[in-house]
Amino acid sequence: MERRLKHWGTGYIFIFPAVVLMAIFIVYPAVKTLFQSFFDAGGNWVGLKNFITVLTHYETIDLSRFPKKGPPWGSLINNAIWILIHLPVTVLLGMLFAVMLNKIKGGAFIKSVIFLGMVIPMIVGGVIIRFLFDENSGVVPLLMRTFGIEALDFTWTAYPQTALMSLILGSILLWTGFSLTMHAAGLSTIPREMYEAAEVDGAGILRKFFFITVPMLAPVTSVVIAMTLLYEIKIFDIVYAATLGGPGGSSMVLSLQMYFYAFRRLDFNLASAVATILTLFTLIVGIWLVRNTMRGEKR
Amino acid sequence: MKRIVILLLCLLAAGTFLFAGGAKEEAVKPTITMTVPWAGPELEQFLPVVRAFEEKENVKVKCLTYRGEDLSAVLPAQFEAGQSLGDIIFLWDWWVKKNDQHAVDLTDIWAPVKSAYIPSPAEAGGKVVALPYVMVAKPGFWYRSSFFEKNGLKAPANWDEFTSLLKKIGGISGIKNPIVTGNGVGWPISDVTEHFLITFGGAELQNKLIDKSVKWTDPQVRKIFENRIIPLLKEGAFSDPVEWTQAIELWWGGEYGLYFMGNWITGMVEDAGDLGVFTLPGAKAMVTGQDWAFIPKYSENIDLAKKLFAFMISKEGATIRAKQGGKLVARNDISSSLYPKADQAVAEAVSKMETTVLDLDDSIGGDWQRLFWDQLKLLWVSPDSLDDVLKKLQAGL
Repeated sequence: MERRLKHWGTGYIFIFPAVVLMAIFIVYPAVKTLFQSFFDAGGNWVGLKNFITVLTHYETIDLSRFPKKGPPWGSLINNAIWILIHLPVTVLLGMLFAVMLNKIKGGAFIKSVIFLGMVIPMIVGGVIIRFLFDENSGVVPLLMRTFGIEALDFTWTAYPQTALMSLILGSILLWTGFSLTMHAAGLSTIPREMYEAAEVDGAGILRKFFFITVPMLAPVTSVVIAMTLLYEIKIFDIVYAATLGGPGGSSMVLSLQMYFYAFRRLDFNLASAVATILTLFTLIVGIWLVRNTMRGEKR
Repeated sequence: MKRIVILLLCLLAAGTFLFAGGAKEEAVKPTITMTVPWAGPELEQFLPVVRAFEEKENVKVKCLTYRGEDLSAVLPAQFEAGQSLGDIIFLWDWWVKKNDQHAVDLTDIWAPVKSAYIPSPAEAGGKVVALPYVMVAKPGFWYRSSFFEKNGLKAPANWDEFTSLLKKIGGISGIKNPIVTGNGVGWPISDVTEHFLITFGGAELQNKLIDKSVKWTDPQVRKIFENRIIPLLKEGAFSDPVEWTQAIELWWGGEYGLYFMGNWITGMVEDAGDLGVFTLPGAKAMVTGQDWAFIPKYSENIDLAKKLFAFMISKEGATIRAKQGGKLVARNDISSSLYPKADQAVAEAVSKMETTVLDLDDSIGGDWQRLFWDQLKLLWVSPDSLDDVLKKLQAGL
């Protein structure tokens, strides 16, 4: 008994500093934010009023425009569009690049170049995106001009129809490196013998890809999906640096909306409501990821 | 070899001694930290004031460049912790008024300069919480005199001449658009919009929009947009929004003919002597804005910070600042002849106006300011969204 107590006691002593720090810097602010979202600035209980205010504001969902008219549609819709386009493209591109560059000469160098996007701080990435799509100095409008696509030869971030898309494309450029690196690492764990056996059975490149590579990479892919989803839900810095959510809110996202509520409107209660909504979304992804990982471990 | 080693050791010892001496001297000097909204040439124009104070008081003044947008995000947490980024902080007056519990009362340094000052201080809770330092004026459309001379152009005297000038500029080879639209967070577009509102609605309209007694959806406001701004946007008189410092280069390089900007542009071009400026014909008022500063309660050098602030707004400090140009000093006892040539023109343009008015979005501030900038950016590329924009501006108040 004494030995057991000593064993557990030592464990508790070691985790104590981490628990204290997490309680101060993570648990307390999270709980305080949650509480704040149910009160007004005067400290009066307002129930779900802050959530209703946020969710019915045109900056969150503009039902008078969505889906019949063009953007701006609101931050929630923009986040959803971001996920719908950015998630499959980055995951698939990362996987394809990882497979294609796996065995070729100079593959490691190309992978490093693609990974550079991950090394750049996202706030700098936002500035790069702004200039990348700028009519006067950007590569993208220049390419459009060169190929005669004059309809797209303008500053993409300045127009509501293209502002969000320019950010998503820029973000794909920056984030694909993550998916690529994870999948490349996953590829190295697939036993060679599986491919050799498939070749003996007469399997071609596509069959090997779909019946060996994709299923064997599934655990890695699920981590990539979860991390990418979290990145997309809380996307902030790119939007802040490139468009500030504009023009007219056409590239507004939830995190930026929360920032404006807190630091421009100085309404910390509304900002807390947005933070709580964001936390709920991230919790869903987080729980899915943890359950997936645990299921994988049991297997 | 031995000699070389000894020599090196001696040099090392001497260097250490000198460095330590220098460091000691530096350490003895009290240091005042100031966050300023200027960088590059704008900051260079301010530094002579700081240097003069440093010499006078034998102190060190450190200037850190911070935008208001960033400070407003950092300061609330710092103030809650009883800390401050600077001893003097430049930030919007509306923000300081909203956070007056963190500001030192500046009544004692304001009182001696009160009679010589043009703008009023920011007051809250019965105390002076922030003071205006320098003034900026937004006189109108800037052009290169050499460009106008070369193409036989002249400043317009009425609206028809203005529109025909735009057409002439638009027809010049190499010109993308007659007017370049500055962008950034959005304030350059709001400046040009305010100039139209003041010209065609008078100073009274601007003041009523500030105190919210006139709605953005009011027919008078809508008419100015509909009859004056929207036709120009639809005709392509304005360019798409271009990052405002990049816009200066493009305009100076001859891709655009006119640029609406504040008087700080005089410090940002290669040859300020080649600058010309005209207001919209009929303008009787002009926006002037101020750079505001306050001293946070959590400064460790409140007395010294007050001393520096008092020097900056004194006649001596204002005289040094006026000579550098780029900004107008906020005192009425400084001769316009002290300014460099380009700034003299601005000072004279200001004096020709019947009145000056406050900057609209700076005065309202808060999240509405961000909304105003953002909605105007939308209007500039989508002029048909006028009604939607005006409705949102009104709803956001």
